[in-house]
Amino acid sequence: MSELAIRPVEIATARSAAGAAVPRLIAGLAILLLWEGVVRASAPAYVAKPSGIIAAIPSVIVRPEFLDATAQTLLAVAEGLAIALAFGTVIGLAMGRSTVAERALRHYVNGFYAVPMIVVLPLVSLWFGYTGGARLATIVFAALFSIIVNVADGAKSASQDYLEVARSFRSGRLRTIVDIVLPSATPYFLAGLRLAAGRALIGAVVAEFFTAIGGLGFFILYQSRTYHHDEAFVGVLLLAAFGVSFELAVVWSTRRWLPWYRRDEAAE
Amino acid sequence: MEASGTRRAVRREFLRRHAPFVLSLAAGMALWEIVGRHTSAAFMVPLSATLARVVSMVASGELVRQFLDSAALFITGFALALVVGAPLGLLLARLRALRIAVEPYVMILYATPMVALIPFILSMMGFGFAPKVLVVFLFAVFPVLYNTVEGARSIKPELIEVARSFRSSEWALWRDVMVPYTLPFTMTGVRQAVGRGLVGMVAAEFFLSSTGLGQIIMAASQNFDTAGVFASILVIGLIGVALMRLGLHVEARFARWRR
Repeated sequence: MSELAIRPVEIATARSAAGAAVPRLIAGLAILLLWEGVVRASAPAYVAKPSGIIAAIPSVIVRPEFLDATAQTLLAVAEGLAIALAFGTVIGLAMGRSTVAERALRHYVNGFYAVPMIVVLPLVSLWFGYTGGARLATIVFAALFSIIVNVADGAKSASQDYLEVARSFRSGRLRTIVDIVLPSATPYFLAGLRLAAGRALIGAVVAEFFTAIGGLGFFILYQSRTYHHDEAFVGVLLLAAFGVSFELAVVWSTRRWLPWYRRDEAAE
Repeated sequence: MEASGTRRAVRREFLRRHAPFVLSLAAGMALWEIVGRHTSAAFMVPLSATLARVVSMVASGELVRQFLDSAALFITGFALALVVGAPLGLLLARLRALRIAVEPYVMILYATPMVALIPFILSMMGFGFAPKVLVVFLFAVFPVLYNTVEGARSIKPELIEVARSFRSSEWALWRDVMVPYTLPFTMTGVRQAVGRGLVGMVAAEFFLSSTGLGQIIMAASQNFDTAGVFASILVIGLIGVALMRLGLHVEARFARWRR
């Protein structure tokens, strides 16, 4: 069955991906060599360079403080995303299905979405103090609105024909939402989740810079202030790995479970 | 008689379209005012006090001065991101081998939280204008580049083949196929870059040398001046909304020929 869903373009892409490994590897090596060369030739000794970072990895990843920082940041991001998902889905569905909710909330959601999330830092640190609560609030604020916007758009995208059929057969409201609205909102939901995860990660890092409560952001800040740039950069690599794996996970699950859906360049 | 009927219909249409927005705005403002009056002034201030503070900041000239400071930073970084990101993306669109080789790295940089680089920029470049421009640039350039490359990926090879079959010159190929096809995607990137660049601007003003609108917030929060914090967040928030609107408008203009 699933073979039928693969379009010729994708087969071609898959074939070229295999042939692309060599040029990609060469490009990666070239970038690393360039970086190494520039730093060695023209930057002070403390500046991070690939050889130093690779040498620092084994010692950094077993340090208890690094592991603790990673766990803190990841748990906060997971918790914040879960809260944003729960509230965002409910509010988004309400906005997508009810004109009153849509008209009452649309401008606020769009407005808060456009606010650069980093400006809430002074406010949340005023409300929650310099604690994990401030970080959690920043993450929720960063993630919530992209989920609401996308779920609302998704709920609106439900086919009018299907809804009419459901109504003709006297399907209940909840039933209609579960069986018709949610499936058609799923791709939008995934696109929103992808944006939200990236924003949540940024929110966590800026909150950790600002409040100095620990976590990967603070680890990076502290190590680079004490001129341990190679060690600090291991933290950046880890953050990049999280960012990329969120991205890949969403792309992969869209392909796996929603093969008919071509990823829309959803709003950020 | 007929004219007044039409006018009434126009008025009704106007009300139907704008009344929900006005009502929800009024409700939100009332809610802010009421909650603000019933909570401790250290935590929240009512809308009236916030607006009064905005007015006094404008009157003292501080807001305008800091706004211009921030605007200079944002525009410089954003313009650099455009000038670098869009042509580089187009170049990658044309040179297929190069694009395939560097695509994953563009994606990785796009997905990396660039804020994490701020401490490095701080200790290498210090507190001047240049490091802050670099921060805005780093925040804004990858959405432009990434989306342009995405657009390039989606150009149908047939289009280029047809152009070639008709002995299209390289210049004509760029003008008639490459640029029109990728530009709408680039514009999506530009819109994303506006939002990210704004975050970069405030992040640079928070964590590098404190200037501009970021400094207003920082100073207010360090003095436990809650009204000042609310006033400056309101101002930056409205700037964000205005820029987002502008970005969507620009994107929609260029999206007309995109399927």
